[in-house]
Amino acid sequence: MQANVGVAASTMAQEARAHRDARHDRLFSWLLKGCALLVLACLLGAAGATLWGGRHAFSTFGWHFLVSDAWDPSTDTYGALVPVYGTIATSLIALLIAVPVSFGIALYLSEVAPPWLRTPVASAIELLAGIPSIIYGMWGLFIFAPFFADHIKPWLTNYLGGKPDDGKLSWVAQHVPFVGKLFGSDYPFGASVLTAGIVLAVMIIPFISSVMREVFQTVPSRLKESAYALGSSTWEVSWDIVLPYTRSAVIGGIFLGLGRALGETMAVTFVLGNAMQLSPSLLDPGASIASTIANQFSEAAGLQKSTLMALAFLLFVVTFIVLLIARLMLRQLAHKEGR
Amino acid sequence: MTEPAAAGIHPQSSAASAPLAPTKLQVRDLHFYYNGFHALKGINMDIPEKKVTAIIGPSGCGKSTLLRIFNRIYAIYPKLEAKGEIILDGENILDSSYSMNRLRSKVGMVFQKPVPFPMTIFENVAYGIRHHEKLSRADLDIRVEQALRSAALWDEVKDKLKQSALGLSGGQQQRLCIARGIALKPEVLLLDEPTSALDPIATGRIEQLVEELKNEYTIVIVTHNMQQAARCSDLTAFMYLGELIEFDRTEQIFTKPTKKQTEDYITGRFG
Repeated sequence: MQANVGVAASTMAQEARAHRDARHDRLFSWLLKGCALLVLACLLGAAGATLWGGRHAFSTFGWHFLVSDAWDPSTDTYGALVPVYGTIATSLIALLIAVPVSFGIALYLSEVAPPWLRTPVASAIELLAGIPSIIYGMWGLFIFAPFFADHIKPWLTNYLGGKPDDGKLSWVAQHVPFVGKLFGSDYPFGASVLTAGIVLAVMIIPFISSVMREVFQTVPSRLKESAYALGSSTWEVSWDIVLPYTRSAVIGGIFLGLGRALGETMAVTFVLGNAMQLSPSLLDPGASIASTIANQFSEAAGLQKSTLMALAFLLFVVTFIVLLIARLMLRQLAHKEGR
Repeated sequence: MTEPAAAGIHPQSSAASAPLAPTKLQVRDLHFYYNGFHALKGINMDIPEKKVTAIIGPSGCGKSTLLRIFNRIYAIYPKLEAKGEIILDGENILDSSYSMNRLRSKVGMVFQKPVPFPMTIFENVAYGIRHHEKLSRADLDIRVEQALRSAALWDEVKDKLKQSALGLSGGQQQRLCIARGIALKPEVLLLDEPTSALDPIATGRIEQLVEELKNEYTIVIVTHNMQQAARCSDLTAFMYLGELIEFDRTEQIFTKPTKKQTEDYITGRFG
């Protein structure tokens, strides 16, 4: 009998332990779920708060808000077109410059550079990525923008664009459509959409190139050797083997950089010029969503404040659309590769 | 065909090549250094044309290193250095003036693990051809088909040339790699343990393929599998610690090796 009691007691102890374990596991999984849901709550909360804050602007201007380039605090009429255009244009210019340069940096570091050079340059790139954006902004405002105004802008207006107000147009502007409009400007200073795009490019190059370098290093050396064994040059191995093999990660890295460029505030505010005007020229000043908010928030009230909130919501939407496009592109690529 | 001069000067290589076939690759006093480590110590051997030459030996003996010098694939890495001569058709391929592109069109290579490129099956084979020749689409189609046929893969893939090569089985992928190599119409084909990642059936097919391919190509195969060397090679070289211990006809090596180390290795006493 005693033996039986002992067995029963130990069974009970085991069951108690099993119950306790199950309870702990349940608690643990609730805790984890809570952490994950917190992210979702933050996202929805931020989107909801900006939408709620911007409701006044949306209801006043309706859909017209999206296509209007008006921005007049004295009559309280606002449109989102100028900042939305400025955000997208500066980010696209940044990508156009940053992607090829980053590709070159990453390829050099992973395929070409002698081993003793790889680590120091790679660490330097990571340090660059960590520089606060205000420093890039000051560099842009005090050093790059004046240099741009003195040396690059005159060349661009002379050879590609012109000075429309003076009626002086370059040969290219007279014969090639669009180009003249993009590079024609009468504005004498360095702050412009193009300047902001270039400063943004400098800022996102470290991001994109360090992602690219890391994924290029994951390409198995036997794959590269096989291509070399067929007589490929380093360029061909990089373009035909390394890039396709890492394509989805490379696209991911590019969109990471784009995401940063879209939302970048300080550096862009310094060099974009903050003019609420819609100009086809990349050499004229403009405004981005983030720079408009940063510039006007302190004095805004009433409808203007609501408009700034609505702009913040639009930045959400633009970023979301960009990420969506990235996902769709990746899915289509995967589909094409038959994976 | 005989080569009395070579036979006289280089006794370790004479028995093998002289009576068999003209020499395709002559290795003369070849040394190799990895970051200063002396990995190959004065290799001399004559590899005959249109025969299968197997290189065997324990891990780390330098057999793969030797193979990787024949197409200078080692040169893509820094700090590796080969000294000596490898004569292919009268020219020293280790000479820096010998064009890498030309060398790799003459000497093809298949690696240990199947490594299809991330492209379609057709593109995998066409890729190398495009580096060396400008062909019309129709000619390219023919060349790709020929290569796939010679690699005994055509019947299995002819209906899915446009699909990704990554969907093939391991054995098919390896035959695709062989097709990719012979699509360039090389003269020498280097196989670096080509079946070590394959199952016995796929291995059998590759060995059968090697047997067929030797009618057209000079084949050098590195293998850790002695039965494989015995089955499919005409000559066998035994290497140990960076030196060529013995190089002779395969049946000679496996039945009456002259060196004690060779005998110990093939009877399984070490390695």
